[in-house]
Parts: sequence; C-alpha cells; structure tokens
Amino acid sequence: MYAEQANKLVLDAKRIQNLPHLPPYAATTVRAVTKEVRDLDREVSNLLAPYSSGSSSTTQSSDGTQQIKSSFSPADDPATACALLVNHLSMRRNKRCLLAYHRMRTDKLEGMCWSGVDVAEIQDASASASGRQSGGGAATSSLSAEEEQYVHQYSDLLAAYKGQWTDIDLTGSLEPPRDIFIDVRVLRDAGEIQTEYGSITLTRNSQFYVRQADVERLIQQGYLQRLS
Amino acid sequence: MDDDIQDILDSVSRPSVPQRTLDLQALTRAWVNERTSPELLPYPSDLVERVMERVKKQIETIEDMTGTADPKSNFTLVILQTELERFKFLVRSFLRARIAKIDKYPHHYRAEALKESQATLSTPSPLLSHLEQQYLQSHQGLLSQHYHSSFLSSFPTALQKLDDTAGGISMVDKPEEDSAVFCRVLRDAGSVEIQGATSASEAELRRGDVFVIRWSAVSDAVKRGDVELI
Repeated sequence: MYAEQANKLVLDAKRIQNLPHLPPYAATTVRAVTKEVRDLDREVSNLLAPYSSGSSSTTQSSDGTQQIKSSFSPADDPATACALLVNHLSMRRNKRCLLAYHRMRTDKLEGMCWSGVDVAEIQDASASASGRQSGGGAATSSLSAEEEQYVHQYSDLLAAYKGQWTDIDLTGSLEPPRDIFIDVRVLRDAGEIQTEYGSITLTRNSQFYVRQADVERLIQQGYLQRLS
Repeated sequence: MDDDIQDILDSVSRPSVPQRTLDLQALTRAWVNERTSPELLPYPSDLVERVMERVKKQIETIEDMTGTADPKSNFTLVILQTELERFKFLVRSFLRARIAKIDKYPHHYRAEALKESQATLSTPSPLLSHLEQQYLQSHQGLLSQHYHSSFLSSFPTALQKLDDTAGGISMVDKPEEDSAVFCRVLRDAGSVEIQGATSASEAELRRGDVFVIRWSAVSDAVKRGDVELI
C-alpha cells in the first residue's frame, strides 16, 4: 500500500516523543520510503510520456500540478488523471512523513544539546540503550551519520549563540531560583571546584551546602544530586 | 515599544518610581507576555540592553564585596546574589521562550522578518534581535542540509523544496492566531470585535478588565502595551 512505510515512520516519531533516549535511526524504512517516492515519480513520468511533446525533460522539473494542467487534459482521460493525482499526493505525503520523522529526531537531539548533555555522551547513551534493547548486541550508535554531523554543528551554533549571553548562562536552570544556597550530595567524584568561598573537593557520598550557580552544571551532568 | 512601556508604567504606577523598578516591571511583563502569547512578540532591545547593563554592574559589585571579605557584608551579599539570580532567570527564560517559538515556526518567522526588513529600514523594535536572526538563519541552514543529506537529495527535484505551497496545503506552519489568551487591560483601548460561532459582537476594553479572548483580537493592543497577558 502507498505510504505504508512512511506511516511506520510517523508512528515511530510519535513513540520517540515520550522516550527518554533516542532509538536507532530507521535507515531501512527511510530508504524504502525514498525508493517509493522515486518509483512513484517514475510512474508519473511514464504515464505522462505519451502526452508530453518533445521537451519532456523540462516539464519534469516544473511543479507536479502544473504538469498535469499544461500537457494533458484530465477530462479526456479521468482514469489517468486519477492515477496521477494519487501518485502525486502519495509522494507529498511520503515527503511530509519523512520530514516529520527527521524533525522529531532533530528536536530531540537539540533538546539534549540545550540540556547540556555532551555530544559524545548522547551517542554513548543511545548506543547503550539500543544495545540493551537488542539483547546486548554490538554497541553501534543509534544516530545516523548525518545526525551525528547535525548534532556537532548544532552544538557549535548553540555555543555561538550562548557566547553572546555569558552573563545569563542561557542553558541554566529554567526553574525560578528560590535559594542561592542549596544542599547537594555528590554521586560521582568530581574533583575539586573553585567557588567564591574557597575550593571544595567533591568526593563521592559527601554532602555540601553550596551556591547553586557554582554547581548548576555539575547537577545537570549528573555528578551531584540536589537535596530538597 | 520602549516609550509605550514607559507610558503604561507611568499610568499604572506612581511617578516617583525609579527607572530600575520600571525596568523590572517591564521585563516581567515582557516575559509573561512572551510565554503566554502564541505568537512571537517584537524584541524589546532597549529594555534588554538596559537590564544586561545592570546585571553586569551588579556582578561587579558582588565581586568587589566578596573581595573585601567583610563578615558584615555577607548578609547584603546574599540578598544581592539572590536578586541577581532572579534577574538572570527572567532574562534567560524570556530568551529561551523566544528561541522555542522561533524553532517551532522557523519558516514563518523568517518570512516575517524578511517582510519587515523590506518594509522599513529601521523599525524601533524589530521582531527578531540581530542575534536571533543569525541563529534562525544558521539553524535553518543546518536543518535543510540535514534533510537533504538524509533523504531529500534522492527525491525528484520538484519535491525538494521545504516551503512548498502546491497541492492546496502550505508546508509553512504558522502559529495559531485564534487560540485563546488570558489578558488584563491596562489602559482603555477602545473596542475589539469578537467572532462568535454564529455572529460577531464587540467587547469594550476598559482598564482593569480581565478577558479570555482570541489572540488575534488583542494582539495589536498587546503590542501597543494597552493590554498585558496573564
């Protein structure tokens, strides 16, 4: 059935929305959908071939709907017109599904960039998650090569934008600040940090009363846990 | 925009209120408006500039005070730092809300910004700040490059566009202008038309009134500063 594979992608995208990690990139399905679009396009040009005069290569590049109107009259042959319409709509639908799927994934990746997760960590985390799912198979990244590149470029872009607002720390907490000092427990050794009140050595399982702004980043990275 | 804010603030608060307090009020208002309106609002560049200037000064003050290490100043220091954190939070949340909107409807805002730059050479308060515009451009560049390398490049050329409007459906998503917002009228602002299910009626915007109303009906009043969102 037309657009069946694409539908799979959309369902997948819907599922990704609520997942904490990013499942592997559905390369096979994406390829199948792209192939379907190419097949449909070929069929359209085959259907139109008898109607187009000489310069078929130029009409190909023009927009689909105009193509129908200019080179052939739908009233003469409703069956062909219908086939063309269905093909065109299916192609568009496939394209939208692909876009939706990719956008969903990039949104997710962007969210990770904003929340301060390191690029390498994203890959590791998703790789291990997918590894667990598939029964501990080879730990391959669940990002496609293009996505990996995208993440790199996006985090560069984000860093550039953030750099203009150094006083604000754009990726900081979006919770309204209540106290400037908070209690934290150290979950992983984080070494020594410098604060305005001297340096603290963060060793595992110890507890501190520190300024929130000083340890914000460490909380996000999972070294510290905030105690309420 | 700035003058407008000044006007509203003058009308709602005592005239003796210093600029600092006015800015805080204006920033809070801009922040609430931005977070609740479905559409991106013009960027209050002067306000943000003034606030950032003050944040920078405050950071310096705090650094100076920590330098002296006087135990008596510790309490003041805590208050100053709390204030600073709150200011930072306001600006951060404000900017993030804007970025989120820009990322949601990138094509729409790009077209809007382009239209604006063509219409007038220098508007007092443009829709996007210079930085936001840069961000939008490069982000879109990255996205379309990503789409192309992932699948679009193997598509027929007629289908490779990202802002296609053929087939009766525009690919460019727009913010929902008819969604409802809660708002409070700060200044008498005449009447607006309300589109009901069957007929249209008018509503008088009088100072102090609170409405649940379609965004499209009050968006102009909000941009003028006559109405604030809550």
